[in-house]
Amino acid sequence: MILSLTVAVLVAGGVYLLLQRSMVRAVFGITLLSHAANFALLITGVPGWRAEPLTDVSPRGEMADPLPQAFVLTAIVITMAVTVFMLALAVIGRDDDLGAHPETGAARDVEGPDADGHAAAVDDIAGRTAAGPETEGRDA
Amino acid sequence: MSVLWTLLILVATVALTPLLDRALGRSACWPLAALYLAAAAALLPATAAVLTGAGDEDVTAFAVPWAPQWGIELAFRADGLGIVFAMIALVIGAVVLAYSARYLERGSQLSFSLVMALFTLSMVGLVLADDLVLLFICWELTSIASFLLIARSGAAGQAASLRTMLITFLGGLSLLAAVALMVMRLGTSSLQEVLASDIWTTDPAFTTLVAVLVAVAACTKSAQFPFHVWLPDAMAAATPVSAYLHAAAVVKAGIFLLLRFSPAFHEVLAWNLLLIIAGLITAFVGGFLALQQRDLKKLMAYSTVSQLGLIVTVIGVGTEAAILAAVLHTIAHALFKSGLFMMVGVIDHGAHTRELRRMPALLRAMPGAFAVTLLGCMSMAGLPPMLGFVSKESLLTGALDAGGPAWAGWVVALGIAGASVLTFAYCAKIVLGAFIDGRDEDAVTPRREVHPADRVMLWTAALPILAGLPLALVVGVLDTPVSRAIEAALHEGEVHAHLAFWHGLTPELAITAGVITLGTLIALNRRRLLPALEARPFPVDGARVLTAVDRLAERIGAVLVRPIASDDPMRHLAAILVLFSAVALGSLAVLAGSLEPITEGVNQPIDGMLLVLITGATLLACTRRDRLGATVSISAVGILATVQILALGAPDVALTQLLVESLTIIVIMLVLQKLPRHFEPPTRSRHRGAVVLAVLAGLAAGAATFLFAGRRDRSEVAEYYIANAEEITGGHNIVNVILVEFRALDTLGELAVLGMAGVAIVAVLSSIRHRFIDPHDRPEPDAPAALREEGTTAHRAITSAWSNAAALQMMVRVTAPILALVSAMLFLRGHNAPGGGFIAALVGSSIVALLYLSTSRDRQIGPPRLPLLLIGAGIAVAIGSGVLGFAAEGFLEPLHGYLLGVHVSSSMIFDLGVYLAVLGLVMVAVNLLGTSAAVGDPDSEEETRERADEAFEGELEGPLETIRGERAPRRRRVGRGTAHLSSGTRPKEVGRR
Repeated sequence: MILSLTVAVLVAGGVYLLLQRSMVRAVFGITLLSHAANFALLITGVPGWRAEPLTDVSPRGEMADPLPQAFVLTAIVITMAVTVFMLALAVIGRDDDLGAHPETGAARDVEGPDADGHAAAVDDIAGRTAAGPETEGRDA
Repeated sequence: MSVLWTLLILVATVALTPLLDRALGRSACWPLAALYLAAAAALLPATAAVLTGAGDEDVTAFAVPWAPQWGIELAFRADGLGIVFAMIALVIGAVVLAYSARYLERGSQLSFSLVMALFTLSMVGLVLADDLVLLFICWELTSIASFLLIARSGAAGQAASLRTMLITFLGGLSLLAAVALMVMRLGTSSLQEVLASDIWTTDPAFTTLVAVLVAVAACTKSAQFPFHVWLPDAMAAATPVSAYLHAAAVVKAGIFLLLRFSPAFHEVLAWNLLLIIAGLITAFVGGFLALQQRDLKKLMAYSTVSQLGLIVTVIGVGTEAAILAAVLHTIAHALFKSGLFMMVGVIDHGAHTRELRRMPALLRAMPGAFAVTLLGCMSMAGLPPMLGFVSKESLLTGALDAGGPAWAGWVVALGIAGASVLTFAYCAKIVLGAFIDGRDEDAVTPRREVHPADRVMLWTAALPILAGLPLALVVGVLDTPVSRAIEAALHEGEVHAHLAFWHGLTPELAITAGVITLGTLIALNRRRLLPALEARPFPVDGARVLTAVDRLAERIGAVLVRPIASDDPMRHLAAILVLFSAVALGSLAVLAGSLEPITEGVNQPIDGMLLVLITGATLLACTRRDRLGATVSISAVGILATVQILALGAPDVALTQLLVESLTIIVIMLVLQKLPRHFEPPTRSRHRGAVVLAVLAGLAAGAATFLFAGRRDRSEVAEYYIANAEEITGGHNIVNVILVEFRALDTLGELAVLGMAGVAIVAVLSSIRHRFIDPHDRPEPDAPAALREEGTTAHRAITSAWSNAAALQMMVRVTAPILALVSAMLFLRGHNAPGGGFIAALVGSSIVALLYLSTSRDRQIGPPRLPLLLIGAGIAVAIGSGVLGFAAEGFLEPLHGYLLGVHVSSSMIFDLGVYLAVLGLVMVAVNLLGTSAAVGDPDSEEETRERADEAFEGELEGPLETIRGERAPRRRRVGRGTAHLSSGTRPKEVGRR
């Protein structure tokens, strides 16, 4: 079945992008993966029947399975919500391509007995952030 | 019905509380107290029926099926126990609320009054429940309310409230296990049937197990050793909370549970031993620790622990005399302890401290408070002529009644006597320490600054204590209620208790005399004994133990998480992907020989063409290093996917995909402007690993779809929808009617996800500090293009945004109405043709995007909060239309009808909710992600954080932290006809406020 090849290509591309460090590339990877998932869902309706499921337009005998279509429609909209949310996360901080999460400033507020643990974590991240660009190299 | 009325009044109280609070502030406690009394009055018919023994089911019981498939009922039934405890909860509650009206700070006290009302409702529900599941739910609700009431007292209460919750929820789990065991074994959740079951005599192992579980639950709630630690902790709560919950209500819930299950367990040895031992240890530990305290309120808390221990002990004894003692002492304790807690509040208000060390002798400044406290402490110490004396005598009688060997009764009685000596001693410490001794030398409050007690507070606090005085003398009036409670707690036929103030010379009286003598000795030597005790506080307290356990769990967690604590996606995903590939490819190898043939017609030429194109676009998306190029490639994949979906015969899906694609691209472009232009190239090892994993996963996914799909006929579900959907719903578009009618609950869930994404974006962006979200060391903007000098048209064309946006502004004026029209049409025709809420909303959203793109300055589109309101309204409308469905068969069941001859359905309202929520999300995205500090002058433009704040606060002049508290000046709006060039004033733009 040709469509299973399409799914294979999309999954491969999506996984490759998802494994990259940049948040935006990861979002793109999710986009490709969700295309793949949508196709996989549509294929469960068996693409031998391809007429639109509109009762006043298509003959009932040739209609495509409407249930996977409803699922996919829902999936697309949820993908949009998730994508937009992840894009918002990508612009926290000046670059989405760092070795570690950007700081949010939240840990600085902690005081009292817990401060030690958190402060150490912050230092850790900050250290790696500072080291990241130098070791990985940056675009000019 | 009487029971139902009580509960309804309490429900109404909860509902009215916010209104009363808004109108009256702290004085809202007065009407609330009146409502409690009304609820108690409503319970009177049931009380009369129970007391006369008539037990008229119409009056005392109420039941409606709740979850009929499991036989669970919303069943309430008043019996002797329920009446006693409900009356305690309601009457003491009313008194405490009246006290709170003066005790609390002026102004809104909603968190106090609302949770108190909720607590009373759940407490009364608990004691009247006639169904195990209902009983458990009310039990947990009292735990939650108690947690909230402690947590509301600010930073000091947080850790304490969490510890309280931890312990009481542990007990809740234990009760849940007991309830589950009983329901599973007996096949009914009716409390009456469960207690009447004969399994308690025939299956000792099961009975012991359930008895221990119930006892543990009750011990956590009633602060029995070793769970007693939460109660002193809970003293962080406001004094009225302590007076109500920690004297009369929540701690009595455990006592109630023990009494409630006594009919089944009072002859189980494990139950007797566990309760007697736990109770006696608690009584001693509590009494001793109380003697050590310097803080009056903590002292009261430990004294409550100790008194509860005494009650638990006699419940453990389990005979008629013992249960009588438990019920009577519960009543007496609720009266004197709630009063004493309130007196602590009175002293605190007057002397400005609760620390005994820091108080001057208060006798002269607060004579009224002295008298009331003295009476309360006399009752607690078991001195005549208070009710506490009668109940303490009955405790001893109950203890002497203990079964087993002859010495058992004397051991228990002497244990109680020993604890009573401690009680006497700390009662003396309260009275003498606060009013007589006075440690003026290091008092923070000089005597002249002590002001006399507030009269309302004093009298309300005195009320329950003073009630104990006449009650003791005419204690016979309690005969009937106590007898009925004993009957309910033992199920052993009629009981005729006879309570009296004077029994003559009995062993109990002798013990009491001994207690008083020893106690007096301690009190006389207090100056030598007490400082020594106070100086050596117990080294291990519960809070420290719990903190240590917490730390340990944190450490273990930190060690366990180390293997996956990484930002690198490779580490998280590799294992999952490899496993997935192994499963999918493995099943291909196994199943390859035995597959059904592929259905005819699944391959079409267009699929192959699209495969080639999609492959190309995907390769580009993966390999492009410039973000713009990758974005274009991704959108190419999206468009090709749209075509493929259309080729599969799904016009609705294709439309949605196309619109989502365009909106997503707009959002991506908004985000990209703030990020570097290129992706960093991956290291060689990452690249190699990613390629290998990607190929594996791709092969696996392809193999799985090849294996499991396209090898059968159209499914039965599909046939059903295709055959029946139109007839059932009256719509031609099957996909749309599935979304809004057949599977509307799915769509509702999706809607909630959508809305939450919008809310989450706002929440995330507004919780991160400005300098982190919009750092000043962002990458340098590109070098300015070589322009002609200032003043030329070319220069203006590049630098002045407004003139560039003018054309787009003009266009929006035409296109926006057209788009709105299209959107409305798509919405209306959704039932019959491709369209519907989602698609229409996406078209509507494109108006928002267009408005944003066409404004010359970067400003929020629409008024503040609008996106969030839209999201909220969308979800509310959708749920509301679902509730409409109850008019038919159930939630989300669509209603059909004809309006002006056109077929309409309530699913249109549901679709409207979808529309609003989608619009809200897109608005959030465009507004918050659209900010661009990178271009132009960074000082004049809004930054993301400021915009996030504006989403709530309205237009701000600058970042919130710099202008907090200032009022934004009103800006004069300029009409469209204004000459921009002559005056320099910008004209009003569409889409800007």
